[in-house]
Amino acid sequence: MFKKISVVFAFVMVLSLFLAACGQKNVDCTQEDVLCVGLVTDVGEVDDKSFNQSAWEGVQKAADELGAHVEYIETKDAKDYGTNIGLFAEKGYDVIVTVGFGLGDATREAAATHPDIDFIGVDQFQADTVANVAGLMFPEWKAGFQAGALAGMLTETKLLAGVYGTDLAPAVVAFAEGYEDGARYIDPAIEVITTYHPGGFASGFTDPEWGGATSKQAIEQGADVIFAAGGKTGNGGLIETANYPGVFCIGVDTDQWETVPEAHSCLVSSAMKLIVPGVFDLVKLSSEGAFPAGNYFGTVGLAPFHDFDSSISQEIKDKLAEIEAGLLDDTIKYEDFR
Amino acid sequence: MESVWRFLKSKQGITIIGFLVLVILVVVFYSISPNQTQAVLNSMIRHSTPLILGALCGVMCERSGIINIGIEGHMLLGAFMGYMVNVWTGSLVLAVAASMLTGSLMGLLLAYMSIKLKLDQVIGGTVINILALGLTGYFYTVGLTTSGKIMTFPLGPLADIPLIGPVLFNNGFITYAAIVLVFVLHFFLYRTPWGLRTRAIGEHPEAADTLGINVIRMRYMNVLIGGAIAGLAGGFLTLESVGSFERAMTNGRGFIALAVMIFGNWSPIGAWGAALLFGFATAMQTQLQFMGIDIPHQFVGMLPYVLTIVVVAGLVGRTHPPAAEGKVFEKE
Repeated sequence: MFKKISVVFAFVMVLSLFLAACGQKNVDCTQEDVLCVGLVTDVGEVDDKSFNQSAWEGVQKAADELGAHVEYIETKDAKDYGTNIGLFAEKGYDVIVTVGFGLGDATREAAATHPDIDFIGVDQFQADTVANVAGLMFPEWKAGFQAGALAGMLTETKLLAGVYGTDLAPAVVAFAEGYEDGARYIDPAIEVITTYHPGGFASGFTDPEWGGATSKQAIEQGADVIFAAGGKTGNGGLIETANYPGVFCIGVDTDQWETVPEAHSCLVSSAMKLIVPGVFDLVKLSSEGAFPAGNYFGTVGLAPFHDFDSSISQEIKDKLAEIEAGLLDDTIKYEDFR
Repeated sequence: MESVWRFLKSKQGITIIGFLVLVILVVVFYSISPNQTQAVLNSMIRHSTPLILGALCGVMCERSGIINIGIEGHMLLGAFMGYMVNVWTGSLVLAVAASMLTGSLMGLLLAYMSIKLKLDQVIGGTVINILALGLTGYFYTVGLTTSGKIMTFPLGPLADIPLIGPVLFNNGFITYAAIVLVFVLHFFLYRTPWGLRTRAIGEHPEAADTLGINVIRMRYMNVLIGGAIAGLAGGFLTLESVGSFERAMTNGRGFIALAVMIFGNWSPIGAWGAALLFGFATAMQTQLQFMGIDIPHQFVGMLPYVLTIVVVAGLVGRTHPPAAEGKVFEKE
């Protein structure tokens, strides 16, 4: 009997080894002339159609254009952040990209023990400057503002809804605030309902069913533009909104037209963070020895309207262009609203 | 007078009073803000569906003496296979069948490990959870699209009843199936020979065995059926509510289902009540944010869990787990 248990367990373990051992290549990263870039994801996968994926594409661009050797580790559990970063650090990687606000502390700890490695923390605000850490930040408030302005011009019920990942992530809150402010900039009478996933970092970004149910709850109360910002949670909200004719949805982070085809019937645009060029630029600067420590700001903007392009009036487009310019030259700024 | 008072204090009495209070509250809220009330109740039904299906799986297994900690794994694999079959064939009927079949295969694995190999049942269930997470994570590829998901179909004139119609009679097939299953299983469990035998092998398998019940066969059968129901819960996520698969998308619903089962005292209707309570708390948590009310919404979300602890700790009422659950049955 014991033998049978052993056989079952041996099978399971061999299987898991098999799954884990994919894609190993031997490159000596300790050598001077080899540029090695490692990426550690937040809880989730590298092909999450969102944040992790964009950062990884930026790293891959470095592989193509700078000839870097690149690898990624997918974090399965928030308590493994430090361990996963350590795996790259011990192999002598030159640049380590950590994706997400949640990895901020682990990244700074690793940076202290490995002063010769450059760390790029996507979405990690640097309160004080550490010589080998650059926080790739995005003015999410501005991206959210543009989304809110668009939503404010599209809505007929004067009721908008935002369905977000956890409010523990400052970037998510900035999107939400921008969305509210942008809508009220168009028409102060517009009401915006804001909902954050209650699950924290553990499940806040990986719960499409919650995103879907919450969007439905909002639509049934009259909301007619849904801004869904929160990884897979948000994707669930986009897909749900597609069931309701006449209700628009707005995606986040990347152009979600490419990533969530199920939402084509409602997806009017996305509040994009241009993560790919941001990550690539930082890797490039590191390889040139000009690594900018502290906060490094990337750019944001609205994604193309795709199928909705013809149904959005020139008037709206002009207004959006005017707002974008205003955000750029700081005539519209956060302090005026909060 | 005395007897009325005694009835009111009895278990049925409290249940009936509680039910009436709820109905009155709902009517009051409905007359104040119909849209909001309806949206919250709709959301409650939706949140409760995977929970009650998972809990029914738990009831089936634990009533026959097998602890099933792997409901989460059944759900996740069921969700995945249902989704994949929907992608491959475009047939929702086949997809639902696939998610149920996958769930029952996982049930078979659990039953094999705990009955034949006599492995600790909690470990067996954990193996299934880890296996499901690994398999779905590895085999899922991004960018697949399906031709559609299960749409809601209103049940004729029933759906026109104000409030009750849109909430109960305008759902998808799996939601209806879940509600029907609650009553069917309740009836079978308490009113048929099969139910009596199931409860017997969960309480005292040796005695049941002495009376000629094939304990091992019944346990296999019940865990298989339970697995299929949990698989259906997964199917609900990918085929009816979300319409797409994401890794780890069950997000602990299989574990919450266990709490629901315990809260409902291992009975299908009790579990349904508990699932509705959990669903309602989740919907209210969202609604409080909608209304911009400043009490931390986490407290509302926490409520059912606190209640579960209170119930399990025996402070209010008593729960009775099947006596023989988790114990290995050795035929004499």
